[in-house]
Amino acid sequence: MDPEQVDEFVMGYLKKKGFNSAAKHLQESLHNNNGSSFSSIDYPNDPELTKLIRSFSQSENDPSRYREGYSKLRSWGYNSLDLYKHELLRVMYPVFIHCYMDLVGKGHTQEARSFFNSFRKDHEMVHLRDLQKLGGVLAPSHLQEMEFARSLRQSKINIKICQYSYDLLIQYLHRTESTLMLGIINEHINFQVYSGQPNSASDDIEAVTIVGSFHEIADHVNQKEIHWGLLEDSLEDRLEKTGGLLSDSEKGQGESKAGDDSKKRSAEIGKQGSSTKKLKKDKAGAATTKVARQETSTVLSSMPRVKPELAMPVMSTDVEESILEDLRNRVQLSSVAMPSVSFYTFVNTHNGLNSSSISHDGSLVAGGFSDSSIKVWDMARIGQAGSCALQDENNQTVGVNGRRNYTLLVGHSGPVYSATFSPPGDYVLSSSADTTIRLWSTKLNANLVCYKGHNHTVWDAQFSPFGHYFASCSHDRTARIWSMDRMQPLRMMAGHLSDVDCVQWHPNCNYIATGSSDKTVRLWDVQTGECVRIFIGHRSMVLSLAMSPDGRYMASGDEDGTIMMWDLSTARCITPLMGHNSCVWTLSYSGEGSLLASGSADCTVKLWDVSSSTKLTKAEEKNGNSNRLRSIRTFPTKSTPVHALRFSRRNLLFAAGAVSKHSS
Amino acid sequence: MSIVPKETIEVIAQSIGITNLSPEAALMLAPDVEYRVREIMQEAIKCMRHSKRTTLTASDVDGALNLRNLEPIYGFGSGGPIRFRKAIGHRDLFYTDDREVDFKDVIEAPLPKAPLDTEIVCHWLAIEGVQPAIPENAPLEVIRAPAENQIYQQKDGPLIDIRLPVKHVLSKELQLYFQKIAELTMSKSNPSLFKEALVSLASDSGLHPLVPYFTNFIADEVSRGLNDFLLLFNLMHVVRSLLQNPHIHIEPYLHQLMPSVVTCLVSRKLGNRFADNHWDLRDFTANLVALICKRFGNTYVTLQSRLTKTLVNALLDPKKALTQHYGAIQGLAALGHNVVRLLVLSNLEPYLSLLEPELDAEKQKNQMKSYEAWRVYGALLRAAGLCIHDRLKIFPNLPSPSPSLLNKGKGKVINTEPNKRKLSVDSSENRSPRKRLIATDGSDGGPSPMQVDRPTGDANPPQNSVHPSSSEQASGGNAPESRNAKENQGSKGRTITRKAILDQIWKDDLDSGRLLVKLHQLYGDRILPFIPSTEMSLFL
Repeated sequence: MDPEQVDEFVMGYLKKKGFNSAAKHLQESLHNNNGSSFSSIDYPNDPELTKLIRSFSQSENDPSRYREGYSKLRSWGYNSLDLYKHELLRVMYPVFIHCYMDLVGKGHTQEARSFFNSFRKDHEMVHLRDLQKLGGVLAPSHLQEMEFARSLRQSKINIKICQYSYDLLIQYLHRTESTLMLGIINEHINFQVYSGQPNSASDDIEAVTIVGSFHEIADHVNQKEIHWGLLEDSLEDRLEKTGGLLSDSEKGQGESKAGDDSKKRSAEIGKQGSSTKKLKKDKAGAATTKVARQETSTVLSSMPRVKPELAMPVMSTDVEESILEDLRNRVQLSSVAMPSVSFYTFVNTHNGLNSSSISHDGSLVAGGFSDSSIKVWDMARIGQAGSCALQDENNQTVGVNGRRNYTLLVGHSGPVYSATFSPPGDYVLSSSADTTIRLWSTKLNANLVCYKGHNHTVWDAQFSPFGHYFASCSHDRTARIWSMDRMQPLRMMAGHLSDVDCVQWHPNCNYIATGSSDKTVRLWDVQTGECVRIFIGHRSMVLSLAMSPDGRYMASGDEDGTIMMWDLSTARCITPLMGHNSCVWTLSYSGEGSLLASGSADCTVKLWDVSSSTKLTKAEEKNGNSNRLRSIRTFPTKSTPVHALRFSRRNLLFAAGAVSKHSS
Repeated sequence: MSIVPKETIEVIAQSIGITNLSPEAALMLAPDVEYRVREIMQEAIKCMRHSKRTTLTASDVDGALNLRNLEPIYGFGSGGPIRFRKAIGHRDLFYTDDREVDFKDVIEAPLPKAPLDTEIVCHWLAIEGVQPAIPENAPLEVIRAPAENQIYQQKDGPLIDIRLPVKHVLSKELQLYFQKIAELTMSKSNPSLFKEALVSLASDSGLHPLVPYFTNFIADEVSRGLNDFLLLFNLMHVVRSLLQNPHIHIEPYLHQLMPSVVTCLVSRKLGNRFADNHWDLRDFTANLVALICKRFGNTYVTLQSRLTKTLVNALLDPKKALTQHYGAIQGLAALGHNVVRLLVLSNLEPYLSLLEPELDAEKQKNQMKSYEAWRVYGALLRAAGLCIHDRLKIFPNLPSPSPSLLNKGKGKVINTEPNKRKLSVDSSENRSPRKRLIATDGSDGGPSPMQVDRPTGDANPPQNSVHPSSSEQASGGNAPESRNAKENQGSKGRTITRKAILDQIWKDDLDSGRLLVKLHQLYGDRILPFIPSTEMSLFL
């Protein structure tokens, strides 16, 4: 390298960087010394240095360098050894999006767009939705504005990579002097190098899907302890202990006593731990009855038991009795004993039905409509009307034409996005685009309370398994816990990076799970309001959630039709259940947790055998036997997307949906 | 850059009254517009999902605007999805159909019916895991591939509809069209309209569903109407139009169509009356057959071989009528020179010997028969002549006459035919008027009574030396009945030179030479007009 050339490069660099005075001085000194200013350094013999100088002197803003660098890296990656290829290709996606965002950030919109379009095909299969979002980013200001892009820019992506792959990559980058790519990789990727052979390509779901900032956080969060066991002294327990002898007089007395207690304490029901004493007493009373079902109790009693962190509402005796009665009559379901499915079809909805739900006994059906109304049908009465009509024709005409056969609840001022029943079916909770949640009484057919607190559309609201408390989630990216007697929320769960689309209670009421448009599911501790688990793996918006009755597993369904089974304690996906090809609107576990039902926009109800997951031994779990969960039955409807599913306590499956005439 | 072109921004700016928007500003705005649109759509999709729908509606977009604290766009909230129409002349420009409604009409119109109220219908989707066969449930065979026995079982269930073999539904318009065409074909009263119909048949797309009906119709009518000459001709025209139509896929129906067509070619009797020019029909059908073979010969390898077999059988059977022979010869001739050379010429000699007695006016008293024989003879001569013409044409060093001349000659055939018939029927008395007639045509070429008289005349103007001889020959050969005597007289002097020429050719090309010699032996000078003039002149 000529000394003159070096001088030129240095001059160019200085000028470009704005060191005008330095450049001037250099020029002067060059004139004085006649071109030997750097004689002190042995630069001709130092190739690294010349390279460095050369690279600096190249115009740094040249947008074509990104394309060049990336396409080189890409072709290198695709030509690398098969064994390490998938690991190396994992690096491509982050490099790709950061190259794009760099280009956008520097204002080369045109180049950014052409760069994006020429390489997006590579990543579309896995990251389609992210790419769709990023495709709209065209100006530097958009990078600042868009949450997703910002989080990508600010965070590092973790990539697990084996030692050899890592060495290969670094070697390549150094050898080819692609400082630009090296810079991007250094800046945005955090390699977790491990020794040994690379992982097989199939189990890299996490590595593929995680692009956000929270891998580390998630790892950290998921270390936290959770108690997924059922509540002490649940009704199931009581059933086992009492066996068939419900008419036991002693128990009846205990129950009524508890009722008295509850009346006394109803004023202070929001406070914690108020009912523990009562529960203990109950337990003592129940323990005196000696009859127990040996077979079932062995399974259930092995489960850990936890104490409720919230003050639990007290059930009235007759409600409890009816529940116990239902439990006693529950049909045992398994992969060979299928449930019956009763389908409620909404007709003439004129595209206005946003949501529907079914009460626990299937007697009430509620629909939330886009015209702000809620309609509640009493299916038992409809059945009666039918039978009456047989006797009296006049009666029938009145019933069908003269009067509506549903209860119209008007109060919201925006589309109603959810309407759900309290466990005993005496209340309806509705959430709407008018940012409010309303509580309605099905007995009085009137609005009782309007809960205001969310700042945006409330997408979903769900009662806790024991009533009284409810959770809501909203476009404002929070989920909130409420109790029926307070106007203000009790807890606020913030942390999702996008809309919180669905919410579900854990059976022991100590946790809620939320699914979000940021493609994650989170588990929150109700008492502390902390996030205790982050479930990463979905590739699109999470639309539905269900908790297994034993509290150990969770199922979540997304926009693409994938259902994921999660182990709550490890925050790992047991297996994705593939089969639906459109949005999974609803999920429901059967009473004893052996079957999972899913309803989808592809007009089918599918039943999945998930009983094996609960009996999975530790050894099997380690073997990674993932084919144990399977679809056992598909029930197609004529042309009705399935909006809601509910297993009754007796294990009858109710389904609801609105006929869509235009489905082809 | 942005998918929103800056022109769009400019148009929007103008529409809201900003006239002085600089191009730079538009260029800067375009990416932002795109980003905002995408943002709105992202929110709209969320709203759609929460409304448990998979179709985006205008209300979803309004909901998205609401989420962003923007005013909704009014005027689109129709409930259902909006129907878009394509702007004519643009590939991806759409607009909503927004008709102007007369206020008076709206007021005067009766009140629309109230929409039906929402109701819930309850049914069993499954009973203990089995879907009952009730109308509310989806029919099972839609989901499962219908195995044979399954369908059988399901027949018990009263409410499952089993799909019959695909039923062909013919639209009302097509039915009318078919009726009209069939009527026209049968009626024969309106030739101009029928011509129009043929044009329509040959060019209209969308007629394909009618093809089976047409083939059926043709087969029926041909078998029924063999006595009705015009009908047959009309039917053959229909066939040709169908074949010409590029939108019709006629192949599967060829096997139904071919028997009718071949019938019209080689049937013993076509038409009832004496005046019916069934020769024309046979000629026409021969061309049709050739067309079919040319088009579908590749896909149906056996098509041509089967056809030629039929035709050769018809030709070689002495019991068949002469009309049948004529049809067979024409059919074979239309199939090409190779076919003629292989199948006709090889059988030419014995056949001509059979034909000889029929040709002789003295022996064959029945004029009708005699005429038929002469037609056959003419057809044979033409076939052989064309064949030899083609053979000779392939001499590499000789410029060939353009084939159009030949065609022109063929075209004339039809024109002269009535004359010819008259001539032949009326025997030799009419010779002189005919001669005059041809002379007034301005042609000094030899008016050979056979088909290819023109080429000689038109192709030979420079060939003055031949003229006398050819006219001489023509005048000699004009009267077929007295062929031998007159011809021999007329061309006696030339025979030797011609022999020499033939020998020359024979030396050049043994095969075609032999053929030519043979033909010359059989036909005498009549074959000479078929020999390309340039070659002839060379030898002379």
